Amino acid sequence: MAASIAKLLRPWSPGVLPVRWTRYNPYYLEPEPSKEVYRIPVTELTDEQKAAQELKAVRPIKATPSGLTSSVFSDPTVSKFVNMMMEDGDKVLARSIITQTFESMKRKQVEKYHKAPATEKEGIECNPYTIFHQALENCKPIIGLISIQKGGKYYQVPTPLTDSRRRFLAMKWLITECRDNKHRRTHMYEKLSQELLAAFMNEGNVIKRKHDMHKMAEANRAFAHYRWW
Amino acid sequence: MALKRLNRIVQLSHTVSLTRPLHGSGCGLQLGAATQTEAPMESPRAVFRTSESEPASHGEQHIGQFYTIPPSQVKTIFPHGLPYRFQQQIKTFNEACLMVRKPALELIGYLKKADPAHPSVRYVLYGERGTGKSLSLCHALHHCSLQDWLILHVPDAHLWVKNCKELMASSYHRARFDQPIEASVWLKNFRVTNERFLKEIKTSQKYIWSKREFTDEGRPLGEIVDQGVTRVKNASDAVGVVLKELKAQARPGSYRLVVGVDGVNALWGRTTLRKEDRSLIDPSELTLVHNLRKMMKNDWCGGAVIATVTQTGSVFTPSSAYLPQELLGKEGFDFLDPFLPVLVRAYSEKEFESSYQYYRDRHWIQHHTVDSLKSILCVSLAPPAGHTEEGKKELLFLSNRNPAALERLCAFL
Repeated sequence: MAASIAKLLRPWSPGVLPVRWTRYNPYYLEPEPSKEVYRIPVTELTDEQKAAQELKAVRPIKATPSGLTSSVFSDPTVSKFVNMMMEDGDKVLARSIITQTFESMKRKQVEKYHKAPATEKEGIECNPYTIFHQALENCKPIIGLISIQKGGKYYQVPTPLTDSRRRFLAMKWLITECRDNKHRRTHMYEKLSQELLAAFMNEGNVIKRKHDMHKMAEANRAFAHYRWW
Repeated sequence: MALKRLNRIVQLSHTVSLTRPLHGSGCGLQLGAATQTEAPMESPRAVFRTSESEPASHGEQHIGQFYTIPPSQVKTIFPHGLPYRFQQQIKTFNEACLMVRKPALELIGYLKKADPAHPSVRYVLYGERGTGKSLSLCHALHHCSLQDWLILHVPDAHLWVKNCKELMASSYHRARFDQPIEASVWLKNFRVTNERFLKEIKTSQKYIWSKREFTDEGRPLGEIVDQGVTRVKNASDAVGVVLKELKAQARPGSYRLVVGVDGVNALWGRTTLRKEDRSLIDPSELTLVHNLRKMMKNDWCGGAVIATVTQTGSVFTPSSAYLPQELLGKEGFDFLDPFLPVLVRAYSEKEFESSYQYYRDRHWIQHHTVDSLKSILCVSLAPPAGHTEEGKKELLFLSNRNPAALERLCAFL
């Protein structure tokens, strides 16, 4: 009885402790995962690389995030997409959906490749990573809209977007399109592969949404001067 | 860097492969490798394929090479027999290519030398998850089919002891249970494989199905199969009749029968099926299992029984179990004893190389770091100098030369 009360009065500590902090002191350096950097012999290092190596000897380094690997197959864009698809911290599920998506895209393209006559074989793209990057590029909007309040009313004002914002919007539109506007009994990897292949050919709902955004920006061109930065 | 839960791919590659050569495979493989190094390096694609499409003429020199099965034979011999991922691969690559490996060659050698007058020998393929037991079984069955044997192939016995939607009490035996859907599906596929035998073999007694339906003595076996397919209620009993007739009439003079069962440990394990009073059903209380067990006995001549023990798909077995003793249990092991065990291992270096070259040739491995054919042709797109072999080394490491792990890794690369 006394032991259980003592247990309740003990200060609570979390079962899982995060290692990588969100607020690091600026003098912490980023970790370097690629093996290529460490394979360069000492004689071939440029001055900047030599300075970076010397800095690593004196400065502390941030803890590596769990999604960062030294694998040759790792792709930062794909990792970002996996993180955006992830729900409730279930990265295993999100990653498996993405790998199944790549597999299903590759299967469709390779099947088409093997059945096509020799003249058309050159035009068929089978690499799922190329298709993914190209589709994402096709979905990225060039100009965006932001809500600015002027005289009690809110106006949708066209504005340039940073690269990271464009990439974020493209990925977000892809994911929401697949989650909301498709038949509910199809698997996510099936929906994603259809949408990515369509975006690669510049068709599909996400491309349409990008074009709608561009048209709205063109229509609201008059309000562009409401933006003061 | 490491995800919290292990992915299935990592599980596959973490299995420890046995290193002692049980069947003296060490010297055989080295001989094979010696002859292969003479192949010219200018045409790397030629090394991993062989034009020998008859399994009977496959020898030690073909180990690690892929042979093609013509599409017509795939449709007749394997309507339901190939693993699902292999079926997808056939659809994608537009061809059915199987690798010639030592366990299958061993099996085919034994089958060639076996005397039909002696009781049927039971061969049990065992090995860790994903090493190629099912496809070795399919290779042996392909050989038997081309030698004009009667093929009795149960693609996955585990499907008969779990997830049964319709379970009905057997009309023939009060304590047993029938599985109409599984039985009728199996009969349909059996009919596709063995059309010509079903016309030749005749029934030896009269079978009464119901008050108005019966099959006379001396009718072709195809009628029993049709009866099972049309009257789904009697399908399990039809399966039992077919098995009984085939076993009774398999004599040295007549046809040669090969029984291929994938996942034979399901017949002596546990089921997930329950009776109406929520008590678990024993496998011996299922008609299909009961009849198939009778086929596995060695009290008949003129054929062979090739079985696989697998943990994949089995219920209530730990995932680290792969030996026949562990998976069959005491009852199953005593029933099958004496049998000939055949160990199926992960790929050797030569086989891994061959598999890798095959995937590259079929444009399956697309990642730029894995030295795709495109990067050889277009110098401007060539990956950085250190990258050409990096991808291959990483594949070797991640898959641990396990065939299934390699296939799943290459699927998304």
